Amino acid sequence: MSRLYDTVEPSVVDEIMLQKAVEEQGPKEEAGRIAKAEGIDFTDVTQLRLDFKNILKVDNLWQFNNLVKLQLDNNIIEKIEGLDTLAHLVWLDLSFNNIEVVEGLEKLEKLEDLTLYNNRIATLENMDSLTQLHVFSVGNNNLSSLENLIYLRRFKGLRTLNLAGNPFCDDANYKQFVVAHIPTLAYLDFRLIDGNTKTAAMEQYKYAIEELMADETAAENKRLEIELKESKFEKQKLAYVENLDGPHLFDNMFAEDPEASKLGALPGVDELLAVYKEKMVAICQQVFAFGLQEHEKRCKEVDEFYSCVQEAKDENKEMAVVIINEFNKYKKKIVAELTVMSDPNGIESQITEYKEEVDKLWDRLMGFELQLVDQLEDTIKDFERNLADMVSSFVEFVQGLISQVRDLENIHHERLLEIAHITLEKYVKNELDDELPEDLRMLLVDKDTITNAVSASHDVHLLKIDNREDDIIQRANGWLGALMERIHNEEEVARNRDRVKEINNFIDHLKDDIENMELPNAM
Amino acid sequence: MEGVGDGPAIVVDSGADDGTIQEEDAENEIPADALEAVNELKDELDQIVLQPPKIDMTPADLPMQSYPLTYKENDNKEKLVLAYAENFRRQYVHLYRDRKPLLLCPLNECGVEKFVCTTIRPTTLPFQELYDYDGCAEFVSDYVTFDPLDPPVDLPKSLLSSTTVLRRQRGNCFEMSTLLCSLLLGAGYDAYVVCGYATREMTLCDETREICPLMKKKNEVKKEEKKKEMRKYTVKPPKDLRSKFILEMEARKEAEQAKEEQQRKKEMEEKQEELEKPPSDELYGLRIHCWVLVLSGKREVPENFFIEPLTGNSYSTQHDGYLGIESLWNNHNYWVNMQDCSNGCKDLLFDLGDCVRWEFMFPSNEKPTLDIPDMDEDALDFEDDEDEEKEEEKHLDMPPSWVSPLELTLKEFQSRCPQGKKTLTYKRAKLEKFAHYLMKDGLIIRLSIYHDKEMKDLVRVEETYSFRSDKLHLRVHNHRTGLITEYYHQGRPLHLKEQTYGQWPDSERTMIFYNHARVDGLTRREENALEMTEHFDNRDDFLLYCHVVFGKRPKKLEPAGSLPSSNPRPILKIVEKFRRNKAKPANEDIAECIYLISEDRIQLTFHHQDDKITASTRDFIKPPNANDKGAVLTFSQDMTSTFRVDPLAEPPKNLFIYNLLRELVDKEDKTVHSVRDSEEEVKEILTERQEEEARSDLDISVYDTERNEKAKQHRIERERLQMEEKKRREEMELDYLAPFLAQIGDPEKLNRQQALKLKEDCLADLKMRLIDKANLIQSRFEKETVELHKKQTWYQNNQMNMQKEDEEEYLEYCSEAMFRIHILELRLNRHKEMAPHKYMALDQKLKTDQRLSEFFGATLGDKR
Repeated sequence: MSRLYDTVEPSVVDEIMLQKAVEEQGPKEEAGRIAKAEGIDFTDVTQLRLDFKNILKVDNLWQFNNLVKLQLDNNIIEKIEGLDTLAHLVWLDLSFNNIEVVEGLEKLEKLEDLTLYNNRIATLENMDSLTQLHVFSVGNNNLSSLENLIYLRRFKGLRTLNLAGNPFCDDANYKQFVVAHIPTLAYLDFRLIDGNTKTAAMEQYKYAIEELMADETAAENKRLEIELKESKFEKQKLAYVENLDGPHLFDNMFAEDPEASKLGALPGVDELLAVYKEKMVAICQQVFAFGLQEHEKRCKEVDEFYSCVQEAKDENKEMAVVIINEFNKYKKKIVAELTVMSDPNGIESQITEYKEEVDKLWDRLMGFELQLVDQLEDTIKDFERNLADMVSSFVEFVQGLISQVRDLENIHHERLLEIAHITLEKYVKNELDDELPEDLRMLLVDKDTITNAVSASHDVHLLKIDNREDDIIQRANGWLGALMERIHNEEEVARNRDRVKEINNFIDHLKDDIENMELPNAM
Repeated sequence: MEGVGDGPAIVVDSGADDGTIQEEDAENEIPADALEAVNELKDELDQIVLQPPKIDMTPADLPMQSYPLTYKENDNKEKLVLAYAENFRRQYVHLYRDRKPLLLCPLNECGVEKFVCTTIRPTTLPFQELYDYDGCAEFVSDYVTFDPLDPPVDLPKSLLSSTTVLRRQRGNCFEMSTLLCSLLLGAGYDAYVVCGYATREMTLCDETREICPLMKKKNEVKKEEKKKEMRKYTVKPPKDLRSKFILEMEARKEAEQAKEEQQRKKEMEEKQEELEKPPSDELYGLRIHCWVLVLSGKREVPENFFIEPLTGNSYSTQHDGYLGIESLWNNHNYWVNMQDCSNGCKDLLFDLGDCVRWEFMFPSNEKPTLDIPDMDEDALDFEDDEDEEKEEEKHLDMPPSWVSPLELTLKEFQSRCPQGKKTLTYKRAKLEKFAHYLMKDGLIIRLSIYHDKEMKDLVRVEETYSFRSDKLHLRVHNHRTGLITEYYHQGRPLHLKEQTYGQWPDSERTMIFYNHARVDGLTRREENALEMTEHFDNRDDFLLYCHVVFGKRPKKLEPAGSLPSSNPRPILKIVEKFRRNKAKPANEDIAECIYLISEDRIQLTFHHQDDKITASTRDFIKPPNANDKGAVLTFSQDMTSTFRVDPLAEPPKNLFIYNLLRELVDKEDKTVHSVRDSEEEVKEILTERQEEEARSDLDISVYDTERNEKAKQHRIERERLQMEEKKRREEMELDYLAPFLAQIGDPEKLNRQQALKLKEDCLADLKMRLIDKANLIQSRFEKETVELHKKQTWYQNNQMNMQKEDEEEYLEYCSEAMFRIHILELRLNRHKEMAPHKYMALDQKLKTDQRLSEFFGATLGDKR
């Protein structure tokens, strides 16, 4: 199949090959010496060239996760694989291989320059995620269908395309077709596309393109609509009131109730249901509006809190930085003095003074930190209280509204029962005018059966309502708890620890510095 | 006494000539002793020599006859108005005996009485600056030199027209107000000339106690302080653990001190004010003055205000300088103030429609009358109303102004002041104004500010320039610090915006640049003998600040005149600061880089990570061969030391550090170069500035036809060419028929016979001339040929015994003669060729000639 199959054994991408390639392509001279001495991590490598290596299978590249440029040209690769970890890849060269299908590129979202020149590709596909594609070369392949090129329209940044040497290049309309269908293109087959060609091609394929455009805009609009809807739904979900702006809950209640459809056939229930639905939807909408409003309020509160905390932290940081800078100046002065001093006593006293200053600095820095801790603690407490109030008032309000829903359900239940009983009586007495459906007639056996059926329906409804209520309350409280825990952890504990560590590290460094300093002087 | 009754209104009737002046008929018997006393009195009175009041006629610099007729005479309507005014005056004097006379009909430059309202001539001059009231006021105050009234308590006898004032560029306050009012009315303002009383400072245009308006503006810039807002979750400030009592005591002490300080300051100020107060004026309240009032309403003027024509300033109607108003007028009417002026102008209401407060002269009061309830008006005087109603139908309106249109050339307008210069004195400041292009260096305003009021201790001089080709527009010389600051407009080659320097060369120097125009984003460079600091903005390499410390120039034995660049100051240290580059992690992004060049060390400080208070640092000791070009940098661990904020993070690889070092060594080299470049640039700017200062060229706009020499020359040249062209064309169009017409005695109308003959003659003449010309050429041609022949024969005869020179001479002659003959031949041929054409052309021309065409057309018809 391949030119080299018979003569040379395919080589394997292994540690030795990679190591060698990295070293060969790495830094030179003194830098090379240093690099060699401490070894090069594969994660640090940004460019790798593995050409003319007779590679059959791409493998073992998972360590190079910072790779930007990868050259695998002039091998005997048959399948694109093993590139999923190279998420930073911008430049990929797979020319002069034996690839038949475009695949395995889904994770390379940053790819801008892709070369598949001289392979055996017959269709362009599986490249949807390469949104940044800028230069694409698929010359000398088996592409035969011009229609397939419409696939390339999705790459909005595509400027350079090479298709020369494919079967469809013999088509008289090849160039015009490409130019007309990929409007972003500036270069085709290594040549600049001039304006005249472009207008002529556009004219030629005017109608086809218009149709395409119309389809694309429609698809785009649809996508945007869905996105908008989704984002709205996300927001409502965050406010815990999703699906409450319509009859969703009501429908849900009846959908999972096996008896409802049967009971619905009872005379007069239609009207009852209509009224019930209307009232319930109204209440649900109230909950919905209130929920969104409360959500907005909460978000604002949280933002306010964070911005204030940030302000306090910045202020505190500013103070600390100022005194640290002052100290650095002082230190420079001391160091300068020490280098010229020769009197050992003087040096000694200077050093002790310096150490005292360092201790003082520590005191002050820690003082600032303690102050900030106090301030934040107070503020967080305030915030927690306010937020808890907000959440509980929200929950109470929602509970109130939901109990109204429950009342509605109870009333509905009573009415329904009444109707059922009357119908039963009438049924028994054969006074009914209308013909009843079979499954309802099954229920109209005796009073217990019908009562049970109605009660079962009622229970299902109540359960649904309860579930929804619990859901809202649980989620609200859960959010509050999680948020407060995060704030406590991040703003209080973790931050404090970091700062204390930082201060101590700095102080240690200052102390070390002076001790290391004096050594050459003492000698 | 009709109409002049108990009502406040003086109803003027031009026919009302009733003697209101009461005559005394005291002809009784005289006692003897009384007679004696009378005689004594007579003697005394005889000693008083009364001089007839001199009418202060302004020196007539123009002969009487050069004034237009309207200046020298009154037409009937004007006479009527004058009579009307006289009647008004008499009634006014009769009714208000204790009031001062009104200025109604002063004499003009021709000694003719003119009513003041007709002296106002609303005018719009074609200058953009005169569209707004402040521009007009400034123009009048600058353009006209002010003559004080003499005596200051009397109304002037004469009021010159605005045309004369503009010509002479002199005038008293009345004339200046009239001019200003004319301009303001022309610009659409509701303006009035006001006659009244003002303080001495106002009337004499003495501004030595005023702060210069140019200085006032600067003080108005207010600093807006931003208050830190208290938000819901703003952290509480740390607890104040100091003793409240001690704080209180300290505060009290401080307050006392501050109070004392204030007291002292106040006293000082009071003293100062006392010193500067003007000496008391015995004529206070009597000095007559004239200024301009602008009422609100027109031209979006929100409030009534006064304009002082002498200074060009505008004041509110509450201003202390104005002590009272006698009357005011514009080109439509004349109003007399009936309000009490004991409190200056502060309580005056300028509702001119209110006839209780303002007595108007002409009933055509265009001002809407005040809305007094009808009852009141009826109660006032019923009869009056009737009379007025009657009069309104036939009332007299104001005649058009007798003043000729005001004209001003651009040149005159641009000269601004008499002779283009004006000096004003303010409180501790002197302001000199110059016309554009008057001063060679483009100076237009020089403001000198003094510390004391005697103006001896100079503090600061601000000079404003215009049209300078080096874009300098302001130079401030601070005499206290000796610093000179120059401000430039945009468009200089190195985008200099501001430069501050001392008077001696190596001193401190600050330059501010238009940084958005510069490639390197330099905003500011400060320099002195040992340091240079540069500030940058918006640079791609995030550089913000660069500070260089120089060593002393190494002393070399050099000739004194050698260039300083041959001996650069050694650089000891360079500090660079950078903005945060968000693309890099904070502890790899250099915030400050110090090149200790003298110590061969480099110190780096990195940016603070988000919440960290300490920043990572790294020190390098440069390897010894670092600055050798092409040498390989060797690296070892002990060349660098570091402090890392996060000790747990993985230390960077040696390779990374090594690359960093190499980068820094390169960068140091570049920085040193750029510092040298900066030094060069400073030198360049300075030499350029010196040259410019020496040249001090002024830019002239291409639209300035007066001053643009090139354009002027071009225009003159073009005019000259046009003239020539015109002349040529005139010559071309010489009337070819004229001599023939003259022959037959220039008849008014030609008959056919004559016309035909004329044509024949004309053509014959041309033929004649053509033949003559041909003959002339022919004869010349023949002559030349004959001569040539002669010469040739002569040559052939004497060829044997000829010298070389003669031969050459002969050859030369031959070639010349041949040439001439050739030319003549050509001319002849051409003449032969052209002659028929010329003949035809003339024939055609004659056919179409207006004078002959009719006959010729007829002949043509006849022939057909």
